[in-house]
Amino acid sequence: MVKATTRGLSRRSFVMGTTAGLAAAALGGAASAQSVPMVNKITSGSTFRWIDSGDQKAVFYNKLFPQFAKERDISVVYDALPWKEIAQVVPLGVRNGTAHDVFALPQNVNPADAVAQGWVQPYDDFIPNIAEWKAGFPDGAFLPGINEFGGKTYGLPFTSNKRYGTHLLFNRAYMEAAGYDPETTPLNWTDFRDAARKITEAGQGRYYGFIIGGSQLGRWAQTVRNMGRMAGASAGGDSVIEADIDFRTGDFVFDSDQYVAAIELLIAMQADGSMFPGIMSMNAPQARAFMPQGAAGMILQGPWNIPGWEGNHPDFDFGVASGPVPDEGPVGKLTIGQGAAAPNTMWLFSGSQNGAIAGEIFHYLGTVQGQTDWANIVGAGDPPIFAEAIQRADMSGRAKAVLNMFNDQIRVGPNPVVGNGDLAKVIGAFQAPEINFARTVQGLVAGELKGVASEMKALKDRYNSALDAAFAAAKADGAAVDRSDLVFSNWNPDVDFGASDYS
Amino acid sequence: MRHLLNPMRWIFGDHRPTRQVALISTLLTVVCLIWIYPFLWMISTSLKSNAEIFANPGLIPRGFAIENYQRAWTEAHMGSYFVNTLLVTVGSVIIVTLCTSTLGYVLGRFKFPGRNVIFFGFVATVFIPQGFTIIPVFELLTWLGLSSNLYGLTLATSGHAMVIFVILFAGYFSQLPKELEEAARVDGVSFLQTFWYVMLPLARPMVVTVVIMQVLHSWNDFLLPLVVTLANPAIRTLSVGLYAFKGEQFIDWTGMAAAATISVIPVVVLFILLQRYFINGLSGAVKG
Amino acid sequence: MRLLQTFHKLRYHYLMLLPGLVLGGMFVFYPIFAALFYALHDWSGFNSDLVFVGLGNFVALFHDPIFWDAFKRSMIFLLGTVPLQMGLSLVLAVLLNNQLLKLSSFFRTMVFLPVVTPVAVMGIVWTFLLSPFNGPINGILLDLGMISRPIDFLGKSENVMGSVILVYVWKWLGLTMIYWLAALQTVPDEVYDAARLDNCRGARLIRHVVLPIILPFALAILLISAVGALNVFPLIMSMTNGGPFFASEVMEIFIYRTAFATGDGSIPRLGYAAAAGVLFGGVVLALTIVQALASRASKGKVEGATT
Repeated sequence: MVKATTRGLSRRSFVMGTTAGLAAAALGGAASAQSVPMVNKITSGSTFRWIDSGDQKAVFYNKLFPQFAKERDISVVYDALPWKEIAQVVPLGVRNGTAHDVFALPQNVNPADAVAQGWVQPYDDFIPNIAEWKAGFPDGAFLPGINEFGGKTYGLPFTSNKRYGTHLLFNRAYMEAAGYDPETTPLNWTDFRDAARKITEAGQGRYYGFIIGGSQLGRWAQTVRNMGRMAGASAGGDSVIEADIDFRTGDFVFDSDQYVAAIELLIAMQADGSMFPGIMSMNAPQARAFMPQGAAGMILQGPWNIPGWEGNHPDFDFGVASGPVPDEGPVGKLTIGQGAAAPNTMWLFSGSQNGAIAGEIFHYLGTVQGQTDWANIVGAGDPPIFAEAIQRADMSGRAKAVLNMFNDQIRVGPNPVVGNGDLAKVIGAFQAPEINFARTVQGLVAGELKGVASEMKALKDRYNSALDAAFAAAKADGAAVDRSDLVFSNWNPDVDFGASDYS
Repeated sequence: MRHLLNPMRWIFGDHRPTRQVALISTLLTVVCLIWIYPFLWMISTSLKSNAEIFANPGLIPRGFAIENYQRAWTEAHMGSYFVNTLLVTVGSVIIVTLCTSTLGYVLGRFKFPGRNVIFFGFVATVFIPQGFTIIPVFELLTWLGLSSNLYGLTLATSGHAMVIFVILFAGYFSQLPKELEEAARVDGVSFLQTFWYVMLPLARPMVVTVVIMQVLHSWNDFLLPLVVTLANPAIRTLSVGLYAFKGEQFIDWTGMAAAATISVIPVVVLFILLQRYFINGLSGAVKG
Repeated sequence: MRLLQTFHKLRYHYLMLLPGLVLGGMFVFYPIFAALFYALHDWSGFNSDLVFVGLGNFVALFHDPIFWDAFKRSMIFLLGTVPLQMGLSLVLAVLLNNQLLKLSSFFRTMVFLPVVTPVAVMGIVWTFLLSPFNGPINGILLDLGMISRPIDFLGKSENVMGSVILVYVWKWLGLTMIYWLAALQTVPDEVYDAARLDNCRGARLIRHVVLPIILPFALAILLISAVGALNVFPLIMSMTNGGPFFASEVMEIFIYRTAFATGDGSIPRLGYAAAAGVLFGGVVLALTIVQALASRASKGKVEGATT
């Protein structure tokens, strides 16, 4: 039986037909190159299941898996779910033994924990000559404590982490009418607010200046964090505990001038009436959908919108540019904690009997051909980790522009877990305060909380006690850790933090 | 004389009935239009093209975009969710009717050691909200290996609403005359046969009530299927499927409206066809 | 010995209890005791690390303002919906319980329609209807000149509870109406006849004749409505997810969020959620008992008055 099904219930899969058609037309023969080399012995008739967060990735897998299933005489089930659901599906699946063969880890689960708890198994045995294959990846793709544990390979780091989810995407016609050209000169904070107001005025209720998926809490945290970082509040890392810590001091930066000013800017824009009505009961996908409809002029979002809009709304004239930069002074860099994108790192379920099948897909995704096929379809949304694949891929002007911008704006920072592996236990024990960073920002912008500076100070105190408690719990669990492990006094946010800088 | 005796007199006194009736009919027509507006809007949106949603705010679609339904049925899996919901509903109705009628019969008609403990045990739990027990229910299903399949969902859906039915059956059976069983026993009919051939048919109105309430409960249920289907999207029910649909990466308004219509139409048709049973059955819940 | 004989004599009775008891044991009684057990532990649900914390969860809950806010909102929801639902549906039932109204059964069908539709589905439909951007409700209000700016029904904390309460009443009014109709139809025509002969009508007829007959029903309806108003998870989850900023987070959403939903570095706390459930269930149970006692007392009074 040959079967490949997708259970992403989205517009994305709905418009698959049209997108795939467009993609095939645009790429010519590229699509037919998607053939996975046979490297393992596979039992026909098996059912192989794969789950990730979908979006543009689903377009790729929906082309890859049916053909792969046919060639190997197996069934492949591909599930694309939002992160909120992955956070539930995967842990529950692991607990009752029905997890997908290959899954993305929920964003609140630390890889070290997943390995320690026996959720995943290494795939070294399923890829012939694995050392040679791994050597094809750029430096920093495979890191102990991140995707290698005890000398075994657990995670597949096949997409690049050099991207951020709050750069500006805008309606060119509206922006031009407002008198700005962010593609040439990035908007500073004052311009950003002014453009939002002008677009709203021009819209007269038919469209608004700025939209954000305000019920999706993470959007608020990311927006403020990235605006703050670019304004010079140097904080680093991507994991929940260190994302808002300045590694030079080891302190949280929630109450920094930059964070406070960023929140005040959002509040001012809300007071201006420049924000789309109803954002507080709207998630990110809903907000994004309003852009091509012409209902909003600007959104701070990620590169994954580019292929989707270009494919489904060819008439929508939109521009991509940097997130808002500070009014004066140099533009700070954004920091990532590792070279490979953690959310896209794929893991092999410990209970899976289909390691051989997973191995073939993993192997293919780690070859220049696989990476190029990936880049052709997924594009800038989840860029491939091989630089060569980006060069070879056929991408739109916007996609290439945004990837160049990322290269310019993003640096690799210190990763505390690489410095001290025991910190994974701290991350595992960390329980964020119930009114966390994201909720606080949402509450402040919605007017539920008053006084930005005092609320952010209180937030910092809450995080400090939560972090101290996590350290205490980890120590009680036998971990050799200390809060000084979060201090890297030699860190310069403007340059990459290399392996030699850890000593 | 009959028209003099209707409760409208309480409000309107002795005006001429035709005027009252006309007034009230108009009023009720307006109320009803407001009441069913969400359905009209939903159906109308499901027939619009994606480009039309903002351009045409009116209720009359410009054409019939049937492809919305095709998308919802196949690509959003509403077809398979529909089958899942139907299976869970039918399965739980059978389980619930059998389990609660037998239990209600014995509790309602006989005195025996342990009877009061069982009966008042059930009564005490009527008020406990679903959210209270969802965690242990999920754990139990996990332990039984049923936490992510349709059997588990059906079983838990049956168990969740049963308490009120037990009480309803017990109340109904307790009112039937004692002589019925006497007669059956004289005729040499066994205990189980008496229940099955004599008592259960007599309780038909209550059976109808329970069946209908369980159909509504199962078709409307959300928390339990949400939790049970978390680890296995293939067994989602219509409600959960549509909820997940809303939370996805892109938003397809017309497809969602079509999916919503698909999940609403069957119960509405069923209700309109079996209206009399619905109304009588539900009335039984307060009368019994 | 006597007891054993009784068991033997009634063995078929006990046999017949079995299926229902097994089902009830699994999904009604076991979960209650298990919830009590979990409530005494700290447990993420991810692994088998079940740490006994005694009453620690309850102590923490007492000091958790978010828990009490959710608790309060559940009560507000209960008090906001039940009287409105019962009052409106009684008026409708009285109007519809009238043989002269040719379209009576048609109206009844229309009002009942929302009851049979999946609540989570209608919740989603309502989010679109109430949208401040091109939502039809705001459109109508703007056209009628009743408002000058669109109202953010679900995105503003001052509006959100009222909005969900109205949608809830829309959803379930038909059911309460059916209950009232059933109650009204038990008032035999002869009663009205007799009352008319006594020249008793209007308010006096309601007070002295109809009310005493339907009052026992009113208590049953009140009970059913109150149980319903505590099970609002699907409606609120599909409409607001408990937001904005907790403004519509009722008890069930609080429990679900702490037990299952995760994000931004929080770990599921099944023990804590179970403790919240126990505490809430306990208070509700206490309220029920009080209500039951009150209803028994008033029922006695009514019976006394009519005999």
